[in-house]
Amino acid sequence: MKYEHCIRCTICVENCPVFRVNPEFPGPKQSGPDAQRFRSDRERAEDGWVLLCSQCKRCEMACPCGVEPAQIILNEQQRYGKEHPQTPAHLLFANNYYLSALGSLTAPIANMIASSKMGKKAFRAMGISTYIPFPKFHFRTMRREKKILNRKTRKVAFFYGCFINFYRPDIGRKIVRLLSALNVDVVLPPQWCCGLPALGNGNIALAKHFAQKNASSLSNYIDAGYDIVYTCTSCGLCLMHDYPGILKIPQGKKIAESSYDVHEYIIKLINEGYAKPVFGEVPRKIAYHIPCHLRALEIGYPAAKLMAAIPGLECEILDDACCGLSGSYGFKKENELTAIQMGNRAVSLIKKTKAENIVADCGSCRMQLSGLSGMTALDPAEILCEALDIKDQK
Amino acid sequence: MSVTEYDVVIIGAGVAGLTAGALLAERGFKVALVTQGEPTACLSTGCIDVCSRGSSPLSGIHDLPPEHPYHLVSEKIIRDALNYFQAAMTDMGIPYAGGAEENRFILSALGTLKTSCLVPSTMKEAPQDTKDSVHIITFKGLKDFYPGYIISRRRNTKSSVYDAGVYSTMSIASHFEEKEFFEKFIIWLEKLNIDEDKLAFPAVLGLESASEIVDTVSILIGKPVFEIPTIPPSMPGRRLFNGLKGYFHKKGGTLYWAWPVAGIEKTGKVIEAVTTPSEGRPNSINAKAFILSTGSFVGGGLTATRESIIENVFHLPVHISGPRETWFDSDYFSLNHGIGRAGIIADSTLRPAGSSWENIFVCGGILADTEILKNGCGHGLALATAHAAALSCAEYLSR
Ligand code: SF4
Ligand code: SF4
Repeated sequence: MKYEHCIRCTICVENCPVFRVNPEFPGPKQSGPDAQRFRSDRERAEDGWVLLCSQCKRCEMACPCGVEPAQIILNEQQRYGKEHPQTPAHLLFANNYYLSALGSLTAPIANMIASSKMGKKAFRAMGISTYIPFPKFHFRTMRREKKILNRKTRKVAFFYGCFINFYRPDIGRKIVRLLSALNVDVVLPPQWCCGLPALGNGNIALAKHFAQKNASSLSNYIDAGYDIVYTCTSCGLCLMHDYPGILKIPQGKKIAESSYDVHEYIIKLINEGYAKPVFGEVPRKIAYHIPCHLRALEIGYPAAKLMAAIPGLECEILDDACCGLSGSYGFKKENELTAIQMGNRAVSLIKKTKAENIVADCGSCRMQLSGLSGMTALDPAEILCEALDIKDQK
Repeated sequence: MSVTEYDVVIIGAGVAGLTAGALLAERGFKVALVTQGEPTACLSTGCIDVCSRGSSPLSGIHDLPPEHPYHLVSEKIIRDALNYFQAAMTDMGIPYAGGAEENRFILSALGTLKTSCLVPSTMKEAPQDTKDSVHIITFKGLKDFYPGYIISRRRNTKSSVYDAGVYSTMSIASHFEEKEFFEKFIIWLEKLNIDEDKLAFPAVLGLESASEIVDTVSILIGKPVFEIPTIPPSMPGRRLFNGLKGYFHKKGGTLYWAWPVAGIEKTGKVIEAVTTPSEGRPNSINAKAFILSTGSFVGGGLTATRESIIENVFHLPVHISGPRETWFDSDYFSLNHGIGRAGIIADSTLRPAGSSWENIFVCGGILADTEILKNGCGHGLALATAHAAALSCAEYLSR
């Protein structure tokens, strides 16, 4: 957090999607380096508006001086969260893992409630927005998938994350099959929410609790010669950046050293000559929405590199807009309008490309963008499976 | 073993780096571009100054001192570079007016006429002399633009204020891209019954579709319309960056954000990889060649210490005007500060002179003896040297 390095160039402000649409938020420069000069641990945290930051990290990617405004704001969000009573929505989303786990066990009922009028009313009363359908809970979770084991050398432990687990286990299964098709052994290690939602809702203690449980589990796999592969770019960012960083998890460095984005991992396998996938034709134009947190992973856009190798596929990269949902951010009523405005801008850029599908690595981006545009949004892994003719198994 | 192998890694996402990247990617090379953040181009007026010393950029270049890096590049390459840029930006929906034959003026926020060469189409109607009468529309609460400066310098100039309901450059620009806001604004504008010859705005007329917005206003009001660049946040600078970045992606280049180069891996006379700090495993990118386009001091390519000036990535030898006393003129506003000459001297292949590296090429503002402020040659030199460096690099890669 080098707030003294700020040269006040305003480049971060230009990149902040929230500042663009919500006049209540003073932007990354003022909330970050500017205000930081006046904050002290001995004084109460008073800047409630720091909660308006969605932690998309775009300011951080753009800053030419390495100031990390989002990190400064994240710390202040934790301080504010500790010193002020939490709203029901914050508590709920911080605990989204437990909520979803419960929903998953009782899927049919939970879905009925979530989509019913009364359910929506209840959500709104708690400060949860209902403008796009709340994700459908799924009965069969990844944890109940059986391990796919054979005797090949590369072994990965797949950190699938809550979104895949509770809402789209079908994509998780596809990724497992995709890796298996490349001769990789995939196991599903015991895992919990990565902790990012808790952190984003100002609850660092809960985030640490989750992170520590994951770290112990993943660390065992690393010791047994496994690489960790994640698919959700936000889980990934949390593992790579927050575990060794703000959460100070003892095994954090080890985990960051051994974790890969799934597409980054596939490229690694190709580069090392371990896998030689032959992609079939996918004759289509897609708009590839780059999730903010993929940019923040500092690994380039690996899925774009893979998709460029698919014959017939025309892929237009869009990395200038945030989808606006930012995990649970847009589900909070006070952020609803901001999230919709941000999302509409992303959608208008997508529509300009005249693409047939949206592609995005992040589940919540897909949910937001397809919700607002009416288009189908796919995971890049789904496109790869299509190109490799890997079919769904029931 | 690094995860990714490239033909070229470009360091720095400014006008030079993105252009060199697009050129190499379209020739089929695998290109990665790493950057610490967004470039100084975002803070610029978005105009391409080629050489502002005379009425013709090319004759101006001809008259530059012999050590100026423009002389490393042939006139043909300079022309090609400008044409390539215009074609690329038109493709991205951000057309530029002007050409290599002639300089032109834009109206500055201080009311002066500033010399440039290629200008965004939204500025092409700027008055070229003091005759046209101008009506300036500004926005309530917009802190970064004061029409009073212009009015005090130009006769026949008036201004009106519109209340957009939002007060920052970014938010006003976003609102202009919304139909409802735009229609309401036009109704207000029509009621003004403007008599003046031309209509001027601070550069806030949209971000993605500024040229259409300016054209539409012009058709609806029946007068030429132009934008006046503002201090940062500068929309025309951002449009320039977004356009070049989009073009680079379109050609198949890969961009790595937040990737300050902290170390290099080398064998003999060849750089093999660049690395960046990481919480996890070493983050490095291998390539066969490297293009250094990190800019000078503000861009982050050079750092000045008390005694010397350092090139931050490869520690290449930096040319300086002499001991520290020669770095600064006693007059702050002088255009002859010695430090404006600091940078890397390149040979005719755009390799750093006086270093033994075979596979480093240099372009843009980090070059020595540019004196960009004095010569008015920033982005133009970036485009021209990026072309030369890309050609040289392509030749090296296809040996
Ligand atoms: S935080 Fe970085 S981008 Fe923002 S104003 Fe400061 S230096 Fe510029
Ligand atoms: S993290 Fe995103 S929302 Fe928060 S200040 Fe930075 S750019 Fe704005």
